[in-house]
Amino acid sequence: MLKLIQKLVPRSPWIYRLNAGSCNGCDVEMATTALIPRYDVERIGCKYCGSPRHADLVLISGPLNLRVREKVLRVFNEIPHPKVTIGVGACPASGGCFREGYSLEEPVDQYIPLDVIVPGCPPRPQAIIEGVVKALDVWRKRLEEDTCCRF
Amino acid sequence: MSNILEATFAVLIFPGGAFALALGLFLKGVDRKVLARLQRRVGPTLIQPLLDILKLSIKETLIPKTANELAFRMAPVLGLAGVLVTAAIMPVGGVWSGVTGLGDILVLLYLLPIPAMALMLAGCSSSSPYGALGFSREMALMFAYEMPLIATFLAVAVRVGGAGGSLFSLDAIMAYQFLHGPMLLDPVMIPAALALIIFIPGTMGSGLFDIPEAEPEVIEGPLLEYSGPLLATFHLMSAVKLVVVLELAVALLWPNPLGGSVLVNLAWHVFKCLVLLLVSVTCFRAATGRLRLDQGFAFFFKYTTPMALVSLGLATILR
Ligand code: SF4
Repeated sequence: MLKLIQKLVPRSPWIYRLNAGSCNGCDVEMATTALIPRYDVERIGCKYCGSPRHADLVLISGPLNLRVREKVLRVFNEIPHPKVTIGVGACPASGGCFREGYSLEEPVDQYIPLDVIVPGCPPRPQAIIEGVVKALDVWRKRLEEDTCCRF
Repeated sequence: MSNILEATFAVLIFPGGAFALALGLFLKGVDRKVLARLQRRVGPTLIQPLLDILKLSIKETLIPKTANELAFRMAPVLGLAGVLVTAAIMPVGGVWSGVTGLGDILVLLYLLPIPAMALMLAGCSSSSPYGALGFSREMALMFAYEMPLIATFLAVAVRVGGAGGSLFSLDAIMAYQFLHGPMLLDPVMIPAALALIIFIPGTMGSGLFDIPEAEPEVIEGPLLEYSGPLLATFHLMSAVKLVVVLELAVALLWPNPLGGSVLVNLAWHVFKCLVLLLVSVTCFRAATGRLRLDQGFAFFFKYTTPMALVSLGLATILR
């Protein structure tokens, strides 16, 4: 029974956008993927949710600058286990064009482990959807081996 | 003793319980699939609501420190229990006549607001400002959409009472329609039927009336702080509530069975629920945006309630 649930569960990813100080380019691309019918993320079972407590996949954009760091980490901790993180754009992985700027010490992945990175500045909607699909594999593996589940 | 057994069966298995849960999840799946097809996209699979529930059931439960924990945990359970009992009372034309001795629309009037009450309890116990906003919106909207429901109930009851049936009994209403044909084809009752069909999206919070749980403004309002199994319970509650309101509309407007066989009648009943769902929830949701709270409130008082009152007046005069 548990095996069956673990097999079925990754077919229902609910996604949440977390803006860690991005330039809004990535956010616009994510909003178009998630919110308009054209790219139809609902076909893999996605639902865009407004509350971090409902989320499974977290799409992080932006380099996590000093001003928002505490708040972003706090929201990130409010997302229930098991969760999978996706870094969208060049910023979360390397700092992108904000690299070595005065507002930034280290990019996101020094604070939050990123499971999938979608490159691009900004990435195309298709790339973001592919990132989501890749994250499902990570999620499946995590459910099988991890202890973060309640069972 | 047999009465108690029958009631338990009704709450846990046939019109309530397993049947209502399965039907509700199926209807929700159809709703999402058809909405996607209307927007020319592929959409999720039909069992998507079930998958969502399974997923939520293995997630972590987080409870805010400032929340009232007892009320926070009880709210979804109370809501689900309430709708299951309501589902047990709902008669299915030609298959099931409700739990005898309870089949009474006055009891229904008390039971129907329970899901909304559960949402309010959830919103105000979660200690979140968005939850409180959702709570006040849900309450205001409830005052608006209960009015046409009560007026429709009265219109139907008076119509049946005029023909010699007993007022306020679901059994009598069904028996009247088996004899005189469905209420939906009765010219006097057409405005009330329309009002009842508008009541369905109002109570389910879809389309124009997606006010208490509006995602862009109050990020799901009362449900904001919920996660894991508790949220799953709320989703189950809303699925059964959908079944309850659709079955209520079917029972009041067109409960007539198709033939003698129980299975055929059941299929016919499910088919009627499906058609009603597509008309009043799915197409309505695809075609409309959302109203402001005051507009939604005014909509029910200006248009829906008077329509039901017209039927009530006509039924009173013509009896
Ligand atoms: S990756 Fe490019 S588009 Fe995205 S937030 Fe960074 S700078 Fe903006």
